[in-house]
Amino acid sequence: MNSTELTTEPNWLEQRRRRGASLTESLPLPDQKAKGWEFTDLSGLDLDAYEASGAEAAVSGGEGATVVSLADAVSTHGELLEERLGSLVAAEDPFVARNEAGWRDGVLVHVPAGVRVEEPIRIELPLDAAGAAVEWRTLIVLEEGAEAEVWEHWSSPSDEVDAILNSVVELSVGQAATLRYVNTQDLSERAWIFATQRAQVERDGRLDWTALGFGSGRGKVRMETNLAGPGSEARVTGGYAGGPGQHLDYDTTQEHAAPNTNSDLAFRGVLAGGSTAVWRGMIKVDPGAQQTDAFQESRNLLLSPEAHADAIPGLEILADDVRCTHAAAIAQIDKEQLFYLTSRGIDTADAKSLIIEGFLESLVERLAAGPVRDEISSRLEQRLAEIL
Amino acid sequence: MATPEVLEEKRSLAGINADYKEKFGFHDPETGYAYKAPKGLSREVVESISEYKDEPQWMRDFRLKALDHFEARPTPKWGGDLDQIDFDDIHYFVRASDKNSRDWSEVPEDIKNTFDRLGIPEAERKFLSGVGAQYESEVVYHQVNEKLEAQGVIFTDMDTALREHEDLVREHWATVIPPNDNKLAALNSAVWSGGSFVYVPAGVKVEMPLQAYFRINTENMGQFERTLIICEEGADVHYIEGCTAPVYSTDSLHSAVVEIICKPSSRVRYTTVQNWSQNVFNLVTKRAVAQERATMEWVDCNLGSKLTMKYPSIYLLGQEAHGEILSIAFAGDGQHQDAGGKIVHAAPKTSSSIFSKSISKDGGRSTYRGLLEVADGASESRSKVVCDALLLDEDSRSDTYPTIRIDENDADIGHEATVSKIGDEQLFYLQSRGLDEEEASKMIVNGFIEPVTKELPMEYAVELNRLIELQMEGSIG
Repeated sequence: MNSTELTTEPNWLEQRRRRGASLTESLPLPDQKAKGWEFTDLSGLDLDAYEASGAEAAVSGGEGATVVSLADAVSTHGELLEERLGSLVAAEDPFVARNEAGWRDGVLVHVPAGVRVEEPIRIELPLDAAGAAVEWRTLIVLEEGAEAEVWEHWSSPSDEVDAILNSVVELSVGQAATLRYVNTQDLSERAWIFATQRAQVERDGRLDWTALGFGSGRGKVRMETNLAGPGSEARVTGGYAGGPGQHLDYDTTQEHAAPNTNSDLAFRGVLAGGSTAVWRGMIKVDPGAQQTDAFQESRNLLLSPEAHADAIPGLEILADDVRCTHAAAIAQIDKEQLFYLTSRGIDTADAKSLIIEGFLESLVERLAAGPVRDEISSRLEQRLAEIL
Repeated sequence: MATPEVLEEKRSLAGINADYKEKFGFHDPETGYAYKAPKGLSREVVESISEYKDEPQWMRDFRLKALDHFEARPTPKWGGDLDQIDFDDIHYFVRASDKNSRDWSEVPEDIKNTFDRLGIPEAERKFLSGVGAQYESEVVYHQVNEKLEAQGVIFTDMDTALREHEDLVREHWATVIPPNDNKLAALNSAVWSGGSFVYVPAGVKVEMPLQAYFRINTENMGQFERTLIICEEGADVHYIEGCTAPVYSTDSLHSAVVEIICKPSSRVRYTTVQNWSQNVFNLVTKRAVAQERATMEWVDCNLGSKLTMKYPSIYLLGQEAHGEILSIAFAGDGQHQDAGGKIVHAAPKTSSSIFSKSISKDGGRSTYRGLLEVADGASESRSKVVCDALLLDEDSRSDTYPTIRIDENDADIGHEATVSKIGDEQLFYLQSRGLDEEEASKMIVNGFIEPVTKELPMEYAVELNRLIELQMEGSIG
């Protein structure tokens, strides 16, 4: 996109960008004293060392729906954008503010009421230019009764690329709509990732959200679901696998804002070498959100003495007729299992990977049989081969 | 949303503990205090406390240094709301009676009346091995039975211990909780008075639990007791602390420091039944260190107070040390129980568990706040944390904030937590068997906390059940 296009932006967008820019000025990058950032050190991040850049995303699929570049959508779907863009993610955050001010492109997926999109919509975003700072934005809107599956893949061609991806993802699931959203991240292990993702699910809507995190050196990925309508449900599945030098940070929120809602979140992480991970999860049940059923689980497998994991699950419950459960576990490979397998003649390396695969298998089993499951499974397998 | 059953249940649970004042809210006329410091905190107050007690210079210096820490530190912003405390509106030292009695007949009459209502002599006659009852800022009644003395066990109030066992006190004093640990520990270090000192020589097993009963009785009087327990190699002791306090119209502050040293292969259990009146700020720092193969257990029951912030901690410093924390919190109208526990695994083959049960009712808020840390090198460590919360009505709140930090791959750590309400099916079942709702609810709550109460000595389990029943007692019928 060139500068002449920028100048032709509509008023509302110009205003938003100005607001984002002034918020960026007033909101410093969080240090480790800031709430939620205790375990992720950003002192090595020099934003000025990176240059704001666009990215060439490849988008396919989506018959029956609108799938357009966000830059184009400004003119073709201006009204929709004005109403929905930024409606789920508040700009009062240093990373969101930067994105608001500077996003160059992204994708709009809009599925009209009652439309069922058969083929998965695929978005491939490469982070391939060294020194680039990419402000990316995804907006997915499913109207009443719509159904779609969206795959978003963020990747780098090599682990040498030193760049920043700062993305904002908004998932709006309308009444009785069903969204399956898969976000796989395999950025360069030198890259910074900041992702602020928030979903809102209306009455009887359903969200099935899967996230994989393999790449990036440092950053923070936030995944928030807001069950806004009665009878809505969300299932969130996350897997990450870190190798030497990587620090992965996942921050998840399940907010129950309406009665009769159901959320089920499971994360599993495998940490090799000196990699570190922090997972922070919160279940919030608002007053009046009765008959809530919420589940949250995080398990980490530490493969080396240098690996480190923090788990900070949390519950804030302001309604009484609820069932909320969380579980967190951090462990190493079970010696007895290893002994058993090696005593059957399997060598130690193979035995270990069998055990790790078994550990991750329970994540894969959360997904319905089909192409998603197969692909997630094979990506996990590939990643394990890389870090082991 | 509220079904008729839910409304009915609400009615049956409403008004619980409305009669607290009648049952526990007695207080004696404030006469006959031997000494009462003016309100507020200053160098002069701290010096006068030290002077009054005729303390050695090192303790006076310690107090003054702690005061500097207290003044330099900001009030913590996390947890409960501490801005309501006016530190200048508190008496930091009150002495109830000049004499530290050992014989029951010497205890002043009005103090005796208080104890009578709490059933202390009764309990003592039955089986206590020693009683140190803290009424106001100092121990007024104290008895250690002769058998214990013969074994070399020291069980006395802290002021006496400082006089009679100065070297032993000085060697261990503030080694577990330094005065600059946190703002409230600094306050306690500056103005501490009373508390218990327990020393158990190597190999001695104290068969009967040692008990101390605490009460606050002066309006706006802070109580800053300081307890130090030293359990030598292979020794074994169970210490019990229970509190009830009369009701007053303005807020009162209780800020204790409890330090426990478990030498190799020793075992210490520390049990608390906290039932301060519902205007007391209860801000307590409790910490234990456990050396090789030692076992430390905290049994912590919080029923009273306006706000409790208390997280008993265990540092597992030696190989194969074991730590356990059992916690019960009951938050009723206007109460916030911010409780939990901390365990740090700092040596290989250490194991620990935390079991927490909380109940929130009538708009009360209970919070589990915990830390589980496995330091680098603490290989083959195991820990399990289980937190269960029961919400009795829709106005109440439950939070769970556990933090788990693992720096060692060779560790096995698990945490789980659930929050739920009393099941309609459970209530229905019990009611169909002829119980009314109140009885059924009580029974379910008692069942819910049973895993903790079963760890208490029998008479404490009975007392805890009675306290919970009082809190659960409804207005129906």
